[in-house]
Amino acid sequence: MNSKTQKKSIWKTIGKSREASLVLVLIVLCVVVTIMNPTFMSIKNIGEIFRNNSLTMIMALGMLCVLLTGGIDISITSTLAFAGMTIGLLQKYDILHNTFLLFVIAMAIGIGCGVLNGIIISRGKVTPIICTMGFMYIWRGLAYVISNSSWASGADVAGYSDFGQSAGPYVILVVVYVIFFIMMKWTKFGRKIYAVGSNAEAARISGINVNNTLTAVYGIMGLLAGLAGALSVSVYASAQPNMQYGKEMDVIAACVIGGVSMSGGRGSVVGTFIGALIMAIIAKALPLIGIDSIAQNTIKGVIILVVVILNVVTQRMMDKQNLERRAM
Amino acid sequence: MAGKSGRTIQSVQKNSLKSTLLSWEGALAILFIALNIFNSIISPSYTVTNVLREMPKYLCEIFMLFPMAYILILGDIDISVGSIVCLSATMGCFVCNTGLPVGLSFLTCLAVGTLCGLLNGIILTTFTELPAMIVTLGTQIIFRGIAEITLGSGGSVSLKNTAGYNAIAGKVGIVPIVFFLVIIAAVIFTVILAKTTFGRKLYAIGSNRTAAHYAGINVQKCRLIVYTIMGLMAGLCGMFLTSALFGANTTTGQNFEMDVIAMAVFGGIATTGGKGNLIGGIISAFIIVLLRIALGQINLNSQLILVIIGALLIIAVLIPGISSSFKAKQKMKAVE
Repeated sequence: MNSKTQKKSIWKTIGKSREASLVLVLIVLCVVVTIMNPTFMSIKNIGEIFRNNSLTMIMALGMLCVLLTGGIDISITSTLAFAGMTIGLLQKYDILHNTFLLFVIAMAIGIGCGVLNGIIISRGKVTPIICTMGFMYIWRGLAYVISNSSWASGADVAGYSDFGQSAGPYVILVVVYVIFFIMMKWTKFGRKIYAVGSNAEAARISGINVNNTLTAVYGIMGLLAGLAGALSVSVYASAQPNMQYGKEMDVIAACVIGGVSMSGGRGSVVGTFIGALIMAIIAKALPLIGIDSIAQNTIKGVIILVVVILNVVTQRMMDKQNLERRAM
Repeated sequence: MAGKSGRTIQSVQKNSLKSTLLSWEGALAILFIALNIFNSIISPSYTVTNVLREMPKYLCEIFMLFPMAYILILGDIDISVGSIVCLSATMGCFVCNTGLPVGLSFLTCLAVGTLCGLLNGIILTTFTELPAMIVTLGTQIIFRGIAEITLGSGGSVSLKNTAGYNAIAGKVGIVPIVFFLVIIAAVIFTVILAKTTFGRKLYAIGSNRTAAHYAGINVQKCRLIVYTIMGLMAGLCGMFLTSALFGANTTTGQNFEMDVIAMAVFGGIATTGGKGNLIGGIISAFIIVLLRIALGQINLNSQLILVIIGALLIIAVLIPGISSSFKAKQKMKAVE
């Protein structure tokens, strides 16, 4: 009897905690794939997963902040392309070859783009999706215009791309995640983001400068997009104006799978990480277990829909149970 | 009675010349005329014949503007339409290539589009808590994914027999058939939105969904109908796109959803719902189409159009905010 209630409470915590249920999904996924193809759990494979998805994982953190405030940013991959293309061209025309400085430049461009978004959204009272849609066109168009629709090839970025093949991306990934974990959990700024997202009016009355918080959040998103742009050029050893086209939806999807609410105020760094990881593993595992990689997108879409619908169904069941309990 | 938009509704609407010119649609109309003058100055080949010849491949996007405007007025969004275009064009091509009559291929395009739209609608109306953005994001990936699976490893299909599709790409005089269809669709959708109960219901739902529900409007039924129409028009767009490109590939229709939403928003339709009309949307759509044609003619980097559309969009959404805050300041001063 005692053990039964104990068991029930474990299931309850898993059911209640979004992160716990996500970890469960992750473990099941890994076990199933490993049974079907043991090569999946090799260090090389896992390293590749993290390296190739470092962009999505890093940008997902910025998207987490943006979604927490109840907004959305669909300009990120355009910012990424603009920043990445700029540093690609700097190398192509032999202006600058210092890896560190190139990263700084890309991040600075990203911050500029992000802050501009933030100012227009917070001060101009423009709907986030429309404002960022405008900039999605502008930065992507500028990336084409500055490069005159040409590429920066692997030879152009030869020295720089060594960084992407070293342990660099992993270090950046870990550092960024640690910083964000601390920031969102224990700093004033992190709590402000949650406050603004839960109830902007209440946050304003309790003395939080909502406009500045929003601007900072979009600035951070831009910074991470710029960083991802620098990483992208390094990891894929080339810069094209159309790089990562349409991938902003992957970033949003990773957040949503990780339990971040689109209406703001709910979500965590751990959840985002697991959400991004689940998507990355699915992409990597499909060819390994014999499913053609062409089907990858369909499966990804189905998973997104299933996750959000399951969420609604469990929420409805919980509400119903609560009502019944109250009726008794 | 002031709605969410702050607009007052009068029993008899007054339309003075001044208010017409100062309205958003009036400004767009002036911009439209200015653009035509500007285009004919910068590009010597900007003539009616040339413009009409280049128009069809841009025109099919406008089919989707009308239902997208309905969806935005409802306060919803649909970002899966580009993928619906891709899927319906792909299926249409495959049916045509099997040797079946071309009419069946057209029907396939429309049916696939309608089904996709219906699926969006069913999911959204069954699970009303879900934001439209995330559901259509999921279906966006799924629809394009199915098209990718159908297209196989090559990633593209081209029409073996173009005769049937040539017929709908034809012209009456110098005017392409698709132009007439866009105009007919524009008239139908504008009249439905402005003059019928259904149109007024859409505005009511967009202004305040709960109030509309209590006023006896079947909110979910309206949403289902509008999403299905969206799918149908996306299928139509896919059909005419095939007639312009004679094939389909995995990137067909990519980013169309954003283009269409940009047209609508630039035309004064608010994404928050309940505000805007189709006349503005149609003028803005033609402004963007003509700008694309003119920039294409003078051999400018074609991607510069992206920067221009983006800038126009941001300016367009900033103006109402700035002017309303300006008015509010003036009011405050008057009170003091």
